[in-house]
Amino acid sequence: MIVGRLAQTALVALTLVTMCFVFVHTLPGDTALRIAEARGGSEFLNVGKAREIAAEEGLDRPILLQYGEWIERIATGDLGMSLVTRQPVASELWNRGQNTLILGIAGWLASYLVALPIGIYAALRPHGWVDKISSFYCVTMASLPSFLMGIGLISIFALSLRWLPPAGFRSWEHLILPAATLALGLSAFSIRLIRDTVREVNGAFFITFARTKGLTASAALRENGSRNAAIPIVAFAALQFAAVVDGFIMIETLFNFPGLGDLLVSSMLSRDVPMVMGAGLVAAVGYGLVNLAADLASLALDPRLSQRGQ
Amino acid sequence: MKGGTPMMRRMQVVSITVLAVAASVHLILPGDPNAQDLLKAFEGPSLPHPFGFDHLGRDVFLRVAHAAPRSLGLAALCVVFAYVVGIALGMIAAYRGGFVEAALMRLVDLLLAFPGILLALLLAGFLGAGPGPILLGISLGLMPQFARLSRATAGQVLAEPHVEAAEMAGFRTTAILRRHVLLPVIRSTLPIGILSIGGAILSVSSLGFLGLGIRPPTPEWGAMISEMMPYISEAPVQLAAPCIAIFLSVLAFAHLFTTERSTAVAGRPS
Repeated sequence: MIVGRLAQTALVALTLVTMCFVFVHTLPGDTALRIAEARGGSEFLNVGKAREIAAEEGLDRPILLQYGEWIERIATGDLGMSLVTRQPVASELWNRGQNTLILGIAGWLASYLVALPIGIYAALRPHGWVDKISSFYCVTMASLPSFLMGIGLISIFALSLRWLPPAGFRSWEHLILPAATLALGLSAFSIRLIRDTVREVNGAFFITFARTKGLTASAALRENGSRNAAIPIVAFAALQFAAVVDGFIMIETLFNFPGLGDLLVSSMLSRDVPMVMGAGLVAAVGYGLVNLAADLASLALDPRLSQRGQ
Repeated sequence: MKGGTPMMRRMQVVSITVLAVAASVHLILPGDPNAQDLLKAFEGPSLPHPFGFDHLGRDVFLRVAHAAPRSLGLAALCVVFAYVVGIALGMIAAYRGGFVEAALMRLVDLLLAFPGILLALLLAGFLGAGPGPILLGISLGLMPQFARLSRATAGQVLAEPHVEAAEMAGFRTTAILRRHVLLPVIRSTLPIGILSIGGAILSVSSLGFLGLGIRPPTPEWGAMISEMMPYISEAPVQLAAPCIAIFLSVLAFAHLFTTERSTAVAGRPS
């Protein structure tokens, strides 16, 4: 299972790299000319300059040779230079990646800090007011794209109340709105899952048995139910990292947050292929690793899986 | 669509009405959604122009209405495309088994391993903004779930005795798949197909918002939002209008097939 996940992630990475390579070479127009334009602006454009760039970036050699070198370079960890800023892609990714990681973890943790108590409470008091309000919230929020929620939060907290800064990332205050946007979007899905799971486990016969044994309702759930309920919740929590990837692309663009998603979109718009590839690779590999971590966590929580699997 | 509480049924009626109105209201509205009148830029809402005018003096109501059939249609097309390809692959995989099945399912797994909107973003970005790349990118992202689900259903159906009998009677593969497998597969996958139109609307408008969707000045909800973002304090109504349009149409699709668990799969969270 672990080997499979790793192989799959590697395959995704290879697909991405190949895609980027193909696109570089099939884009309409001359790549070198475009780079020249991106660097110097259209007024300084001329053929001599484009040739210079073509030689410098190795764009004048045979395609297959370029592909081989492209793969080799990336496999050895050299992601190349940005076509626009001429800074190494790796260092830019490192800086931006840290910001995204902070944002992602903050949003993700916040969503579970909210979702776990609400979901569990709603499960223990079905059809109570917490259950009703939270399920209305879940259905509504599930249809609300994260960037719309972000726009709402900006207009309330940044523009009307002026409590928080609307964009950028210079202090921890800049983190609150994007992280809250992410957290609200994620919790819409996790509250529902947590409620359903806890309710299912709470109705299981071993809980009834624990109750007849004389344990209180909360003790029975804590002692016998928590591990069972945790299995699907952990698996789902990892799945939600896919949503985090979507979320951070949209949210970082909206909040002008200097992270990987913002980098991905802006370099896509300026056709900075090495940067796009780097950011895409980090996102895809990160996603693969999170999935792997989730598999391992499920295995640790549920020994039945390892017996069934091997 | 049958069953469910009266409340759910009422929601379905409301949903269908909302979608039908959204998709057709541009037909009865006079005027060009791209017509500019700079003197009217940022003019607030009035009765003939309920959402006011944007930064270029274009009627926002007209633009939202004209964007609706495009956004809804493109989203629906993405799902149809993904659905047809997905169930075809799933059925072929289940019928052939062996190497074909393994190869097809590995391909599907590979597509699934691309997180969220990343694949659509790369395709739309590299192939250039336009309906084609958006369609390709979004449907490649949606296809795996249909392929997996239909393979599972087709596998079950193919193991049943009446299918075995048809095989022994010498019917051709296509006839067996069409007559015995297709219907159960559609029955098990159609609700998810319709639900995922909501998710596809989100993806289309997300790409538009990022500047990688349908090219301006063609009206599109996501692009309208990102155009109006700099003017969020001057023109809140003009910004809110496309936001509400997206929200309502996604909500409407989520309620077309409401069952206990269905909202959990109502498209990818975005």
